[in-house]
Amino acid sequence: MSNPVLENIRTRRVIREMTDEPVDPHHLEQILEAARWSPTGGNQRPNRFVVIDDPELQRLIRLVAPGMFQHAPILILICVDFAIFHHQLDPEDDPLYPIDVGKAAQTMALAAHSLGLSTGPVTSFNKAAVKKILNLPEQVIPCLFLCVGHKAPQTQFAMRGAQRIRWQDLCYRNRYETWDR
Amino acid sequence: MAKSSEKRLLSEDQAVELIALFLSSARLLISEPPAYGPLRLLTATERLSAMILDDASPTTKKLLQVCIDRIPHTYTLANEVKEYAAAMDELCDALGQCLVDRAKLQGGS
Repeated sequence: MSNPVLENIRTRRVIREMTDEPVDPHHLEQILEAARWSPTGGNQRPNRFVVIDDPELQRLIRLVAPGMFQHAPILILICVDFAIFHHQLDPEDDPLYPIDVGKAAQTMALAAHSLGLSTGPVTSFNKAAVKKILNLPEQVIPCLFLCVGHKAPQTQFAMRGAQRIRWQDLCYRNRYETWDR
Repeated sequence: MAKSSEKRLLSEDQAVELIALFLSSARLLISEPPAYGPLRLLTATERLSAMILDDASPTTKKLLQVCIDRIPHTYTLANEVKEYAAAMDELCDALGQCLVDRAKLQGGS
């Protein structure tokens, strides 16, 4: 891959060990602006982003986030404001919002990577407790934390896949026929 | 109940931290991958070990240090059952030795 965008996609990794080096505020703003350009279903823009840089709030969040191994200088919480869906009887019937959250997370992760920063997404957290800690309004649902910081130099632990996979192993042509056929 | 002669190893804040981890995990694990269950127990073990390491007795300290040193490496093995089981057996062996040493049973080192 020679295209810099494709190279950025290929080289991004989930990082679970970060240094305490602060994130440049200008870089943080660029990441948040990238999130603003992330597409949403029906262009409804239900995502809200809460930046947490207060160490005490971060400590409390880590207490109720078993999946958060990072000690990142910046946490960005992607929320969904369900008030946006007021015209729908039940947004859960047509749940586009988790897709929007995923798109925003990946857009920010790639933006951060292009700026020399590292990220790690965390969804294993206690939503009810986080709502209390961050004083989120009732209709705002916390969905995903993106930890942002600088990768620690030592080797990090990572989930080892059972085997190395190629893109052809995941893709099919037409009637679910293997790509190599 | 701890014997009155034994000192307290955990502060109230540390106990609350562990309760937060246990309760949050118990809620989350309903919808998370099965491999996350052991992971959360190991995270709790690692955190508790770090909390009480400084004030623990020498025999317990040996076990705690093994937990702190080895548990992070087991996180990589969630998808590899045999290697994971072998790593757990090593930890459980250290646990058994600690229990034997603390009870001053024959065969303890």
